[in-house]
Amino acid sequence: MRVWYFSEMAYHPAWSEGLKRGSLRVVLPNGHIDPVEAHGLLNRYLDEFALCDEVGLDIMVNEHHSTATCMTVSVPMALAVIARETKCARLLSLGNPIANRPDPVRVAEEMAWLDVLSGGRLEMGLVKGAPYEIAPANSNPARLMRRYWEAHDLILKALSTTDGPFNWEGEYFHYRNVNIWPRPIQQPTPPVWMTGMSVETGKLAAERGHVVGTLLSGGLAKPMYDAYRARARELGRETGPDRLAFAACVGVGATRQEGLRRAHLIADYVRTSPVVAEPFTNPPGYNSIAANVAMLKAGPRAHRLVTDRQGNPIDHRTATVQQFMETDTVFAGTPDDVVAQITDFDQRMGGVGHLLAFGQGGWLDHADTKENIRLLGEEVVPRLRALHPAMERRPAAAE
Amino acid sequence: MSQTLTVSGVGLEIAERGSGRPLLFLHAGEGLAPERPWFDLLARHFRVIAPWHPGFGRSVLPDWIGSVDDLAYLYLDLARTLKLHDGVLVGAGFGGWIAAEMAVRDTRGFGRMALVDPVGIKVSGVTERDIADMHAVSRDEVLQRAWADPVRGAIDTTKLPESELAAIARGRESLLVFGWKPYMHNPRLKHWLHRIDIPTRLLWGAEDRIVTPAYGAQWRALIPGATMHIILEAGHYPQWEQPETFVQQIIDFAAS
Repeated sequence: MRVWYFSEMAYHPAWSEGLKRGSLRVVLPNGHIDPVEAHGLLNRYLDEFALCDEVGLDIMVNEHHSTATCMTVSVPMALAVIARETKCARLLSLGNPIANRPDPVRVAEEMAWLDVLSGGRLEMGLVKGAPYEIAPANSNPARLMRRYWEAHDLILKALSTTDGPFNWEGEYFHYRNVNIWPRPIQQPTPPVWMTGMSVETGKLAAERGHVVGTLLSGGLAKPMYDAYRARARELGRETGPDRLAFAACVGVGATRQEGLRRAHLIADYVRTSPVVAEPFTNPPGYNSIAANVAMLKAGPRAHRLVTDRQGNPIDHRTATVQQFMETDTVFAGTPDDVVAQITDFDQRMGGVGHLLAFGQGGWLDHADTKENIRLLGEEVVPRLRALHPAMERRPAAAE
Repeated sequence: MSQTLTVSGVGLEIAERGSGRPLLFLHAGEGLAPERPWFDLLARHFRVIAPWHPGFGRSVLPDWIGSVDDLAYLYLDLARTLKLHDGVLVGAGFGGWIAAEMAVRDTRGFGRMALVDPVGIKVSGVTERDIADMHAVSRDEVLQRAWADPVRGAIDTTKLPESELAAIARGRESLLVFGWKPYMHNPRLKHWLHRIDIPTRLLWGAEDRIVTPAYGAQWRALIPGATMHIILEAGHYPQWEQPETFVQQIIDFAAS
């Protein structure tokens, strides 16, 4: 198993204001961010990413917009800094919300540039993005996935074509001379990742052989992984653990109490993430008709809940670490505890090769974050490698 | 009550009732709702032809249809297929936008046009809104803005059958295919409204806060010879909130 450290680079000083207003995203005025304080935090978070390389962790970066939960506005910008500060870590962009990007060829250029800069260490997530990203991008939620797939196909073609220029006159995107420079080291393209929470996403990723990632609920992940494996088998392929990824909060301590304390603070990521004004949670077209029928049936006061292994509903906004551990949202404790929990999870899921570890939740301070990273990299990762030994760290292509 | 008619390759579900002068009614983004009183009241005086827009009701939304231009041409083809003559073209809300896009192209088949609280044009500055952002406020606030009496507009979706819920979800999504960006308008339409060459009446709910009567006055100024009538105690949907007044207004205008 490979473990990827991940932080959204939160601006937690504004959380109390956002929680008071009922939205940390979209409508919380940016007067509530102090840019000088943000300067200190961003540099601190980047130092934490750099530390991952020293302790044997891979690195994942994502982006969100118009929110106090995540200051990373551009995966390529963040990874450009991190690529220069790291030597071995593979760098996962998870990812570019390509249905919200007006210019897919620019996305391909940036990904190729990062792959070249990092010596072929890039892993490339092409994601749908969260529903509340629709408003900041003013992207049309109707026919979103049609735009996604056209962008996806164009990006992969731009990255893998070596005898261009080529022409693209599609439904959403128009170019007459696509011919990106540089082109990626990893040919035909860096490994492609998708994300989602549904069986349908599992099938679609399987059809293309992409890595598929999901997050925060083993109960939702399992049907998606099973759908991936089943669809791949129909197409004559067996699915190795390297095709499946899961994101969860991971808190490690020298003592169980310390690990749980860290996990409690990291889990603020999960508690704050869904706090967004109602109209931005489900723009029409973002979710399927069937999902919308279910939501209309449940009524406006029903919140989306996940259930624990006993079937009890858990509200992400208020759950405790103990409750989160029941839903596979959090792994926490001593290195022994965490290895045991993840090993158990891996077995229940039937083999998951990538753990995307949320290791920063805002109020976890620099010293705690560093120690969490160190224990994860030095005490947990070496023992998790044994789970799926075929997935050893590959050397960078340029080394 | 409804039948399916294929026009230009698109299967349209159409509610039709009544006899006499043809009246093509183009519904608002919220839907057609022929079960509400307006439809039967109108059908006492006209042959009412009311299609569900592509993606609404059981009307098909083919992949190639994606703009209000497409809908305008589709309904012009419908008018030709039905051989409409001296018809009354009525468009409400989003349907008013479609009707105006039809009328700047071709008014053969129609002798009158009534636009009921239409969206579709942009007249104010870049940082000002003419059309309320219904997708940036709660459903409760949409009701407050769209209805003089919001209680009349409230729907308890937990009590509706799944087929109706699916139609609601599909309609909400389809509206955005046409109206997300630019939001519920065509920046160029106002420059073509001068081409409208049939008598046009704007009907406006006094309490409409999706698009206000002041915005309606801008429409009136842009359409040659257009007149405007305000309907009291109505919001964005006078046909639903004040069906008798709405129908009487259509009768009076058609006969004028």
